[in-house]
Formats: sequence, C-alpha cells, structure tokens
Amino acid sequence: MKKIVIIPAYNESECILNTVEDIRNNAADFDFVVINDQSSDDTGEICRENNIPVINLPINLGIGGAVQTGYLYAFRNGYDVAVQFDGDGQHPASYLNSMYDALIENKADIVVGSRFIDSKGFQSTALRRFGIRYFTLLIKMITGKTVLDPTSGFRMVNRDTMKTFAYDYPRDFPEPETAVTVLKMGKRLIEMPVEMRVRQAGKSSIHLFKSVYYMIKVSLAIILEGSRRYDDR
Amino acid sequence: MMTVRIQIIIAVAVIIFIICLATLARKKSLDLKYILAWLLVALGVLVLDLIPGFMPWLSDVLGVFSPVNMVFFVGFIYLGIVVFALSVAISRQSVRMKKMIQEIALLRRELDESKQNKTH
Repeated sequence: MKKIVIIPAYNESECILNTVEDIRNNAADFDFVVINDQSSDDTGEICRENNIPVINLPINLGIGGAVQTGYLYAFRNGYDVAVQFDGDGQHPASYLNSMYDALIENKADIVVGSRFIDSKGFQSTALRRFGIRYFTLLIKMITGKTVLDPTSGFRMVNRDTMKTFAYDYPRDFPEPETAVTVLKMGKRLIEMPVEMRVRQAGKSSIHLFKSVYYMIKVSLAIILEGSRRYDDR
Repeated sequence: MMTVRIQIIIAVAVIIFIICLATLARKKSLDLKYILAWLLVALGVLVLDLIPGFMPWLSDVLGVFSPVNMVFFVGFIYLGIVVFALSVAISRQSVRMKKMIQEIALLRRELDESKQNKTH
C-alpha cells in the first residue's frame, strides 16, 4: 500500500521542519509532500534545502486549492491512501498508523481525526466549539449522519475518495462541505479520537471578523451540497 | 425635450464609442460577444437620440409616468444583466485558472523529480 501525507503550508517556515521530522519519526512508511501555497516567507527554500518533496503553487490558491493539488498528485502517482496534515504542528504524526488501521479495518472511505470524541488535547475556543456543534447539527439534518468534528483538517482517505477530491474540492473552508459530499455519495466516513496540539506558529485561516461570513457561507455550502444528487456512485 | 445641440453631441459621442468598439474588435482585445452587447447599447442610445418621440411613446404604452424614469429603468436593468453575466464569467474563469495553476505546479514537481533521478 502506497501512503502519502499531504502537508498544505502557507508561511510555515518555523514549523515545517518539525512537522516533517514528526512524520519521519512516527510514521516512517508514509511518503509526504508539502504543498507550498505561494508562501511569502522561505517555506519553499527550506523544503528544497532539506530535500523535502515540495509542490510550489505559482499563485496562492487558498487551503482548498492547495489540498486539492495534493490529492491530484497522490491520485496521479498511484497512491492508495492519502492523509491531509497541517503544516503548523497541530496534528501529531503518531496517529497516522492507527488512522490507517482504522481505515483498513472499518473499510472506511474517509477517516476524520476528531478532537471531540475523547475531548482531550486542544479543544479550540468556546465560540468555535459552538460553531462546530452547529455544523454537526446541520450535517445531521441533511445527511442523517453525525460528524462530531466536521471542521477537522486531519483526514485520511482511500483511493476512491482521493479521486473524488482530486476532481472536485471547494476552494475555501472545504472541510464541512466535503464531509457532506462523501456522505451524500454513500461513502463510509468514520471518526477517530485525536488529541490535537495548540498550533506551534502560524494563525488559523479563520479570523474573528471573518467568522460570520464563514458561518453563512459554509451553511449555504452544506445545504447546497445536500441538494445535489450523486447517483449511487 | 431635447435640443438639437444635445442631440448632435450625443450622436457624436455614440459614433466615437462605436469606432472604439471597432478598433478593439480588430485588435481582438475585446471578445466579440461583449462587442455585440455594447454595440446593442450604442445603437439603442442612437435610436433614442435620433427619434426623440420614441421614449415618450414607449413609456406611455408601458404606463410609466415619465420618459426619464423609463430611460433610467431600462438602463438599470440592462446593466444589472451585464454585471450578472460577468459574475458568471468570472466564476468560470476562476475554476479554470485554479486547474491551470495546479497543473503547472504538478508539472514543475515532475520536472524536479526527473532532474533528481538523473543526478542520482
């Protein structure tokens, strides 16, 4: 089984080496590739100097476009499993192997690393948790399935889901929307308890003044996604 | 009511605009489909300019109180349609651009990989 870690990175020069080191030490049989989303710092140079495989986007695409590039790369290079992994040190690589086991044992199409099953580790702010619960509820109403951490960017997919994402992936705020996509397609989504760390550096891509826009846009995206038809694929 | 002077000024302005359109079309710096849209506007204004009785007649038929309101209303609707069509066009462009950016990035990666394989 060929496995690859996709690391979207925007100005992560401070922790990209730690992230890669973490993967090398704790999940050695995973390949990895950094998607450098036109960072204005020296993320790209650091990768090149340290022989870290990197895809440099010539124009900034945002998190969705960057991650999709990774899925496209993984799909075209014949990988069986791909996992999305933040470059800022939030996601511990020690979970990669158990995530992979969960994917195989449950014959899942996608495994989401969830902060809220065991409620351990970095739990985000109360306001964000409230927002996340709202998305959980909305997704439940639309798909009938419960996803406790629909905004988690720590997700592992099999080749089938990889193909779906490689060809169609939202440009911004992709996580909740694509959770609905896979559920609507009748794919098997499971969640696995994960303890996330406080990000080492870098900022969340969601700022406070943007959060209202974020809530409305993602709600609309979820509802729209719910109204789409995927014929028994 | 319009004076002959303003009628002539408008007509000249419209003709200059049509010449601009023709120049842009020949240089291919404006798509033919947008040329058609703007040509339609130019011709419409020209017709209203040369037949000053047309707008009062039309507003009377449609039950609009004043011909000036009619002009604003039609102009507003038309611009709305144009802007909406542009939003659709921009969305399509942005999807295409994203695809292209991704392909370029992946090609560069392939290039890097084949270079590395050669040196090893």
